[in-house]
Amino acid sequence: MPVRVIVRTLSELSLTAGIVMVLFVTYVLFWTGVRADGVMDDQIDALRHHWALQSAQPAPSPRPTAYPAGEPFAIMYIPRLGSTWNKPVLQGTDTGTLKKGLGHYPGTARLGQPGNFSVAGHRRTYGDPFKDFPRLRPGDAVVLTDGARWYTYRIDKGPYKTVPTDVAVIDPVPRASGYTRPGRYFTLTTCDPEWGHSHRLVVWGHLDSTRPVDTGQPEALRR
Amino acid sequence: MYGWIWRHLPGNAWVKALLSLLLALALVYVLFQYVFPWAEPLLPFNDVTVDNQ
Repeated sequence: MPVRVIVRTLSELSLTAGIVMVLFVTYVLFWTGVRADGVMDDQIDALRHHWALQSAQPAPSPRPTAYPAGEPFAIMYIPRLGSTWNKPVLQGTDTGTLKKGLGHYPGTARLGQPGNFSVAGHRRTYGDPFKDFPRLRPGDAVVLTDGARWYTYRIDKGPYKTVPTDVAVIDPVPRASGYTRPGRYFTLTTCDPEWGHSHRLVVWGHLDSTRPVDTGQPEALRR
Repeated sequence: MYGWIWRHLPGNAWVKALLSLLLALALVYVLFQYVFPWAEPLLPFNDVTVDNQ
């Protein structure tokens, strides 16, 4: 085979590999976000639709069962991350679930209940929900609704940097949070550094107030 | 490689160009729809929890 053919084929293969890499970067940085924004909006629409149906016909007595895995059950608002920042919260933290929204750790407390309501979210890719996580400060409101009530949590500590194996940060009384007694806490986790996976960033807070949805939005969301 | 493909496409130059474009688009579609979604979780951006690993 002449040298010319070998060199040409190698060049073409290199060129092709380069184009595929550029396409892959485009996919990770841009396309996952486009897809995730659409999927998250769909999740929120589905939730609102579901809640509208529920309020039309009186819901059966609230039963403290686990949330169905992979299904959205709440919407989270964090005014610090932007007045339009709202994300669906789904049950479970596996890869497929986190592509559609924030993920509630199975086995941690239900919304508003005693224990530690713990949620994980992407820092980067898939809509970058927790891109501005380091801007969270103690005193910031984290508001959630499950269609029946508003839950206003207040951040008490963080962002706190830890290692991925530090599962005690989502304990009912989280380690290193400063809490000493059982209470109604919440934990948010994401990755750190922004594009890496060597560490995790964590914030903790407590339940500040709850109110029925028909009495209007909580103060933290009014502007 | 590309020369070989070009020679094996049927029709005149215009048809060949159109077919090349369609092939390229099909390739991009397969990459975005199947290959990249498979490859992306192998990168570290998905590790946002404090459990399984």
